[in-house]
Amino acid sequence: MISDKSPLSGVRALELAEIWAGPYCGALMGDMGAEIVKVEAIQRIGRGPIHPNPDVAGYPYDGPGERPWNRQANFNAISRNKVGLTLDLGSEEGRESFKDLVSVSDVIFTNYAFGVMDRLGLGYEELRKVKPDLIVLFTPGFGNTGPYKRFHSMGMAIDALSGHSALRGYPDMDLSNNSLVHHPDAAGGVTAYFAICAALLYRARTGIGQFIDLSQAETFIPHLGEVFLEEQMTGRPRERRGNRHPDMAPHGCFPCAGEDKWVTMAIRNEGEWRSLCQIMSMPHLADDERFATLSLRLKNQNALDDVIRQWTSPQDNYEVFHLLQGKSIPAGPVFDCGADTLEDPHLQARDYFQVVTHPDAGTYPMSGPIWSFLDYEHSQASIEHEPIQREKRHEHAPLLGEHNAYLLGEVLGYSDERMQKLEERQVIGTVPLEGADMGGVRRVQRESR
Amino acid sequence: MPFLALEGIRVLDVSTDISGPYCAKMLADYGAEVIKVERPGSGDTSRQSGPFTDNIPHQEKSGLFLHLNRQKRGITLDITNTNGAELFRKLAAQSQVIIENGAPGDMESLGLGYQALSTDHTDLTMISITPFGQSGPYRDHQFTELTIFAMGGAMHREGLPDREPLRYGGEVAQYFTGTAASAATMTAIFQAAMTGQGEWIDISIQECMAGHPHQIGRRLPYIYGGETDPRKPPRLTAAGSREPYAVGTFRCNDGFVSFLPLGPRMWPNLTRMIERPDLQEVDRYQTTEGRADYREEIEKIFQEWFDRHSRAEIFEAGQSEGLPCAPIQTTGDALENEQFKSRDYFVDLAHPEAGVLTYPGLPFLYSDMPRSEPTPAPTLGQHNTEVYGDLLGLNEQDLAEFRVRGVV
Repeated sequence: MISDKSPLSGVRALELAEIWAGPYCGALMGDMGAEIVKVEAIQRIGRGPIHPNPDVAGYPYDGPGERPWNRQANFNAISRNKVGLTLDLGSEEGRESFKDLVSVSDVIFTNYAFGVMDRLGLGYEELRKVKPDLIVLFTPGFGNTGPYKRFHSMGMAIDALSGHSALRGYPDMDLSNNSLVHHPDAAGGVTAYFAICAALLYRARTGIGQFIDLSQAETFIPHLGEVFLEEQMTGRPRERRGNRHPDMAPHGCFPCAGEDKWVTMAIRNEGEWRSLCQIMSMPHLADDERFATLSLRLKNQNALDDVIRQWTSPQDNYEVFHLLQGKSIPAGPVFDCGADTLEDPHLQARDYFQVVTHPDAGTYPMSGPIWSFLDYEHSQASIEHEPIQREKRHEHAPLLGEHNAYLLGEVLGYSDERMQKLEERQVIGTVPLEGADMGGVRRVQRESR
Repeated sequence: MPFLALEGIRVLDVSTDISGPYCAKMLADYGAEVIKVERPGSGDTSRQSGPFTDNIPHQEKSGLFLHLNRQKRGITLDITNTNGAELFRKLAAQSQVIIENGAPGDMESLGLGYQALSTDHTDLTMISITPFGQSGPYRDHQFTELTIFAMGGAMHREGLPDREPLRYGGEVAQYFTGTAASAATMTAIFQAAMTGQGEWIDISIQECMAGHPHQIGRRLPYIYGGETDPRKPPRLTAAGSREPYAVGTFRCNDGFVSFLPLGPRMWPNLTRMIERPDLQEVDRYQTTEGRADYREEIEKIFQEWFDRHSRAEIFEAGQSEGLPCAPIQTTGDALENEQFKSRDYFVDLAHPEAGVLTYPGLPFLYSDMPRSEPTPAPTLGQHNTEVYGDLLGLNEQDLAEFRVRGVV
């Protein structure tokens, strides 16, 4: 992906982030050609355990291997198109090297808890002294001010506070049956990308940098905007809907042949209802006194769902999908994120997956960028008269400390001798220290005292 | 309150419903001049969807429309009409971005495809948002939030093992896609500012959801070992968590709270939270495996404490022990929440038809940037005179003629 012609080529960003929201922002920026420096430390890694159980899932075919930190699936999936640096920011030399790197960077983003960067002496004011037009984004779950600024949050906490958890789950069961959902991480990551990119534009025009205060809760609440207005406009909070919809019926998820196979469908109007009855070879159903109008179908939805379920149960979910879409009725199989997605002929035809070879974790397909720039000049010549996507290619996730020599030597011009010293003093390295996977070497030392 | 990062960037939002309008709203919130282009008569389809004031349908009182189109100016224009298409071309010539979410090929068939519009205007960017993208076997397929959510990969693991998969609440797939589209648009605006070259961008809702971090994180384990991450009982849903008695959502004396302890090192914190540090001394609870074996027993002890405490008390006790947790709030609770209040997050806006309502505020804040005043969503065709006058030099008489012909 990284080429001189990529829109963000020439932009260097330092990523100090774990789990999903921050790293996702970095992956998207990397997709667009920015040089994303994943700053890690051998004193604390976010790459799974150092000594995982040999038969634990989430590692390549032959298990965790000798360097499991380079083989963990979650890390390798979210760290595409980044370069890897280790730096012990708890040491004076590490902080000095970090500031050297800051002086040649455009952006720093972190989803560390509030106060972590300040405690390291790397708060916004300090960083700005190194490079005045720097763009710095800090995203604790609830923002950088207010009574919750120090609170510990994961996507699930934001889901709960934002109002989304109260909308989820089976309407006939209470909320303690809900799963935890971390979707706000994803919304936060994409919004962080937007925030950084708009700040880059503003800086290009004015020369002024920014501190960006991004609350993941505040990025997600607008995704529920009409629900917030509904409670004010009607005087009542929205009731949970499950898979149903107040203006459509049938509208749901129905079992199909095979284990855990399902199809969804949504009937938007009377025409589609009649079409569905034809497709099901039950034309009489269209005028059935229980189902003849939308309000009747909504009223008798349990009986309606029984009829649909009986029809879908013996069928293949793709077949139902094709039958309905053939009549322009919205329907879709429920894809698992494994074979259903990887083998979907549509995603395949769109070249959605790109094969990546990782030096320590083998060869595997990775999902593409979530948007494509179209090569419209060539699209006119294509046989199908369909637009052609510009070629894209992912770089594999970096090994721990893989690009130390590139960043410190080539970019910053450190001598081999200096880098060797940094390695001897464990400021940089490629092998995590014991305890680095337990919340950090220093924390483990503190707690064992 | 918008920030003026995108000052001087003119955007034509000819999209309908959620994904395109939300993309345009992001740009408007950060300073772009967004012109909402609606069909004369009925306007954006979201004007017909609820929620409505007192549940009475009214095209100026749709909560969905009011939320998505705040900070935009509104004009009416029938782009399917030859005269209308010509006016659209003239507006496009003076704009940097066009956002559309019609079926693939619709804009081309009106002579308004990217190639036609960008010929003499190379820095123009067009965002095309569709359920399945501009190419491939499903490109003409239909969708609703439910069916596209199902095909994005998140639904299969959502819900209980012995029941049907569930979708999320709200319309989150379309909002997420709108956010991704705004990020893509921002990329193209930046590129055009640097190089003078715009882009035609293809956004597929399915691909946005399939490329969501939680899907890509689960796809690799499948590739490696065939793991499909099926639906699990609620205490076992958090991948990797080994303290299942305290994972998930719990009833308390005034509602529900959600918890996700970060592994075994949080066992002491959990016991302190429920004022039972003595549990740390119990032999059978000494190891992670022991606590997993006796999880129902431990969960009962936790539940007893939850039953005696409120959401606010549990939130405070959990947070002071460093446990990721939060009360489940309704949207009404969130409006009153002390954190959002302290940040002046929500915004009151008066709309001429819908009155004063409290809207979600800006998704993030800049430290050093000028701001402007917030405005409510436009009524249908509210800015016709202003926009057509300023940009195309049309006067009232011209507009009256176009009106008669159904163009505006």
